[in-house]
Amino acid sequence: MTTPVNTEVNTDSKQEKDIILRTIGLTKRFGKLEAVKDLDLEIYRGEVFGFLGPNGAGKSTTVGMILGLITPTSGSLELFGQRLDKHRWSVLRRVGAIIEEPAFYPYLSGRNNLKALARAIGDIPAAKIPEVLERVNLADRADDRYSHYSMGMKQRLGIASTLLRDPELIILDEPTSGLDPAGTKEVRDLIPQLAHEHRAVFLCSHLLHEVELVCDRVAIIKEGIMIANAPVRELLTKGQLLQIKVDNPGEAASILENISWVNSVKIEDDYLIVDVPKESDSEVNKALAEHGIYASELVSRNVSLESVFLQLTGGESGD
Amino acid sequence: MTKLIAAELFKLRKRLMSRVLLYVLVGVLVVFYLILLAVSQALPTGSNPRLGDIQNLLGLPVAIPFALSMIAGFGTLLAVILVASSIGNEYNWRTIRTMVISSESRFKLLGAKLISAAILVLIGMVIGVITGFVMSLITTAIGGYAFNFDFLTGEYLWEQFLQFWRTFFVLIPYATLAFLFAIVGRSAMAGIGLGIGVYIVESLITTFMVLAGGWVARVPDYLLANNVNAITALASLPEGFNMGGGFGDITFQMPGVTHAFITLTIYSLAFLAIAFYVFRKRDVAG
Repeated sequence: MTTPVNTEVNTDSKQEKDIILRTIGLTKRFGKLEAVKDLDLEIYRGEVFGFLGPNGAGKSTTVGMILGLITPTSGSLELFGQRLDKHRWSVLRRVGAIIEEPAFYPYLSGRNNLKALARAIGDIPAAKIPEVLERVNLADRADDRYSHYSMGMKQRLGIASTLLRDPELIILDEPTSGLDPAGTKEVRDLIPQLAHEHRAVFLCSHLLHEVELVCDRVAIIKEGIMIANAPVRELLTKGQLLQIKVDNPGEAASILENISWVNSVKIEDDYLIVDVPKESDSEVNKALAEHGIYASELVSRNVSLESVFLQLTGGESGD
Repeated sequence: MTKLIAAELFKLRKRLMSRVLLYVLVGVLVVFYLILLAVSQALPTGSNPRLGDIQNLLGLPVAIPFALSMIAGFGTLLAVILVASSIGNEYNWRTIRTMVISSESRFKLLGAKLISAAILVLIGMVIGVITGFVMSLITTAIGGYAFNFDFLTGEYLWEQFLQFWRTFFVLIPYATLAFLFAIVGRSAMAGIGLGIGVYIVESLITTFMVLAGGWVARVPDYLLANNVNAITALASLPEGFNMGGGFGDITFQMPGVTHAFITLTIYSLAFLAIAFYVFRKRDVAG
């Protein structure tokens, strides 16, 4: 059983922040299956918030509830201080989203897809369409049919569509999926920029390295329950990875696995990779020495978000 | 709502399928007129008692009711395809979530879809009527029949105006049924398949029920096809050229027009109510 990590910013600084999204006890049941249980979230203006979890953890259900596509079984959901169920359109007008994958009309061009969307939303100036196409570097292919677009172009059109209504909350689900390295970098650079324009970005991604690079804060959800919600920097400073060279890694691993404060132990290329709290190098060394095992090499590595994620979710993939 | 209708019309207008359906309707009318002309030319005068009826159909006074009668039959299938794909393809292309998020309400989204599809159906009907009229002019000229526009009286035009709206009315139950099936089945194919399936199968079942006699023979009065036939029969077409009303040698006793109007209205409203309810209540998941 993983201990929940919840180290949100303190109450004083919370009050100073403009809350864009707040969920209280948000729950969704599909028959007997509880897809999301008592989810409490707060997302602030100007931040990039990462939402992580293994397959089937409840991420898409949560996003569906935030966008009014899925009706919560219980709990409340506020966007910009207004309840979504009472003020659906006035709040959703201020939200842009790509859900799971960009979906557009295959027979229309990129430009016409944006036109159709702009007409449906209403009150979007015509000049906005070339502006957002330019912003995602799609202007020169804007008149090609969507069905002829590469995955990367579809993703970029998806991002352009979210920017159409100049949203204050942008929800991006796997925004770099299918992008080439240059495109991935462009989008990764774009996400913090968007947040700095007084918006909030809600990012669902299974690319933990990406989340680590662009997110200010992350929540990790598993089996519908939020098991962590903390600033990325804080999660990363909670532990460290020790790379240890010993003569008998198998025996050493079984010794360390029995120590309560050791989070995880694995063997990689004859090295022990041990996830332990900060400042515990000497304790590890001592524990091994007590069993007659002496480390010939002991190197401390920074913990990655991936190791934190794997530790919290019990090693499940974030795909 | 007007914004959503504008968006829907924009999508339908840009879509190749909308134009293909229109070309099919026009093509079928053209081919039908040419076949009638060929038959009327091939049969020697007095050889067949129906020849006069065929020549009547080619004539201008019957051109509009005949075109409307064709639209009520074949056009229903095209309307089913148009309406079912208008909502069903949103599921197929996974654009339904984007559209729901971008719409003021789910109710308005469905309303806009229905209104824009209805506008396109009406445009198709007008083009169908014009095609019928033009083909009648052409076949009259080719056939060497006399042109006579004396029939164009106010009464005639009013009757055709009424028949136009009656024809539109009889398309509605099947179109709304297809709309409902597309929403429940979350796909265009569910709407098109079941919509057309009901259209075809119901006619067959109606025949068997009439053959069975007794109270079973009256059941079709409470289904769709017999009531549609009762309304389309109001067109002033030569006997035997009305759509429906019989199957081979079997003659159906059709319900009254008021009965037909009420029954079809109830069906259409029920299909719409269920479609809106399901769409409003159901989660739009991936």
